[in-house]
Amino acid sequence: MALFSMLGARDPGATPLPRLFARGGLALVIGAYTIYTLGPFLWLASMSVRTTGEISLDHYAWPSPFHWEQFRIAWVDSNFATYFWNSTLVVVGAVAVVTLVGAAAAHALARYRFKGNRLIYAVLFSSIIFPPQITLISLYQILVDYNLYNSLLGLTLVYISLQLPLTVYLLEGFFARIPQDLFDAAKMDGYGDIEIFRRIVLPIGMPAIATTLILNFIQLWNEFLFAVVLITDPDKRTLPIGIRAFMGDHFQDIGMIAAGVMISVVPVILAYIFFSEKLIRGMTAGAVK
Amino acid sequence: MSVVILDKLCKRYGTSQYAVDHVDLHIRDGEFMVLLGPSGCGKSTTLRMVAGLETISEGTLSIDGRVVNNVAAKDRDIAMVFQSYALYPHMTVGENLAFGLRRRNVNAAEIERRVKEAADILGLGALLARKPSALSGGQRQRVALGRAMVREPMVFLFDEPLSNLDAALRVNTRNELIKQHHRLGSTMIYVTHDQVEAMTMGTRICVMNGGKVAQIGAPLDVYWEPADTFVARFLGSPPMNLFTAPLRRSADGFLLEEGAFHTPLTRWSAASLAPYADRKITFGVRAEDLHLDPAAAGEGLRGRIRGKAFAIEPLGAETLVVLETPLGECTARLPRNVMVRPGDEVHLAFSASAAYLFDAETGRAISGERTAQGALAAARGLQ
Repeated sequence: MALFSMLGARDPGATPLPRLFARGGLALVIGAYTIYTLGPFLWLASMSVRTTGEISLDHYAWPSPFHWEQFRIAWVDSNFATYFWNSTLVVVGAVAVVTLVGAAAAHALARYRFKGNRLIYAVLFSSIIFPPQITLISLYQILVDYNLYNSLLGLTLVYISLQLPLTVYLLEGFFARIPQDLFDAAKMDGYGDIEIFRRIVLPIGMPAIATTLILNFIQLWNEFLFAVVLITDPDKRTLPIGIRAFMGDHFQDIGMIAAGVMISVVPVILAYIFFSEKLIRGMTAGAVK
Repeated sequence: MSVVILDKLCKRYGTSQYAVDHVDLHIRDGEFMVLLGPSGCGKSTTLRMVAGLETISEGTLSIDGRVVNNVAAKDRDIAMVFQSYALYPHMTVGENLAFGLRRRNVNAAEIERRVKEAADILGLGALLARKPSALSGGQRQRVALGRAMVREPMVFLFDEPLSNLDAALRVNTRNELIKQHHRLGSTMIYVTHDQVEAMTMGTRICVMNGGKVAQIGAPLDVYWEPADTFVARFLGSPPMNLFTAPLRRSADGFLLEEGAFHTPLTRWSAASLAPYADRKITFGVRAEDLHLDPAAAGEGLRGRIRGKAFAIEPLGAETLVVLETPLGECTARLPRNVMVRPGDEVHLAFSASAAYLFDAETGRAISGERTAQGALAAARGLQ
């Protein structure tokens, strides 16, 4: 509604009919985009409460009856509780380390003048440019050499190394715009470097930190390639690999896959709802006023 | 006692030239010292060295007899008000005020007392729960001042704190700062490029140029007795008119005469001018000492300048008239109802006692007999 009001207010001289057309056109575009993005998700949601047999008969039919037991089967009988827990451990651990270390590194690069500052920045930046797949084989070998292959700790470390450069890059840009006077004022108030980081940088940089946090969380929660290569033990699977287990060579249990995917997206939606306000502020932040 | 002594204080970045070049400054207890100068003159760097935010390259800095060159900013017992106010945006006004005290382990009751006292004095009582983003520029400035006040430090530092305020608010806040200085009686060091702030607030002012101290003194002393052409032009608006002309001998001693310009030099003894005879010398006269009516220039010998008006700037209370003379531009501050139009030939007169002389090569003032008596004569010319 606010968007429509703004549209009307922007052109006060326009006659009512063109304004109506403009509003109608905008509503049409927004509606079409909503269907385009939300449609597949709703279709998946409907399939998650239908059996694979029902889906085969009619792909787009309304669920009748609703097979809620599919979620129980996925969660209990198909080991999804374990996959969920594994994903949570790996992703939460990696995101926590990436956020803390990334924020500290970004603060250091943005604020302190030391020899090699720009060199470190350039090395980090260069690692963003290359596709992560090129490191897959070497990472596999490193994990084997250090007995970290097929372990959640190994996967967590890989995820940290994958996400850290982009996190530092994004946060450095934001932190560099925090006025130097704030740091000087905090120094005059008696605070040391670590306290300034904790009490000034982290709270002020929270919109940017929340942005990187949610982006990292979504990316790692859905990460498949590294997980499927570096984890083979069924008990150590993460959710994306767990979902794949429903896919056989000759038969795909579409209903169960849909139920698994629905389970896996819940944390992502919750994270988005919780951080969305800060995410938008972080995305649109210009400078700290 | 909060005496701050800068002894040959220097700042260099790498092997580059001195940003602050052997500054000697003795700031007395309870004094309001203003560091004045144009952008890049080293005044803010000097202040930041006193604050402990910049390292000292050479020289010593002592506060109350204790050398603090290597003492961290937080341990110098100094509070600073920044140009940007530097309020923590995620904290309320109350939290901003208390932030420094919390670090110093002041007990909660004492923090509350000091915050309340500062808020009452500065009229911030109703704003304590607000965030800085919900405050006006003037209110933010007062919070910044309050944050320094609650600390009850030995020395207050101000880095161009009024620069971001509009003209009306600047006057109010200036008066507020003067009032607080009288109330607290603390030593204050204030950096500005605004000569009005310097003249109205400072117990003494230290004019800086190119990283060096150009002159230190009471505001009016510096205004009446500038040490060189830089200070002469920097203090005063419009700046002092300066002309370079040959010094000629006359029957009575010396005079400057060149085309449309003539002035007897009664303030200087023959001995003090003898080294400059038949050499070029820089002559100065302030815009307010120039008059259309020769009688207004006071009694005694007078100088004359003739030129063609090319710009008239009516300011309301007075009118600035800019003349093109054979020796260069000359600005006169004339009464508001002056009847001069661009293109008119204008004859201006000034009292011989309002004249200044400077060495044309070094720019240093040539000391004359203008002591208090000369200043008074010039002041009379203003009236």
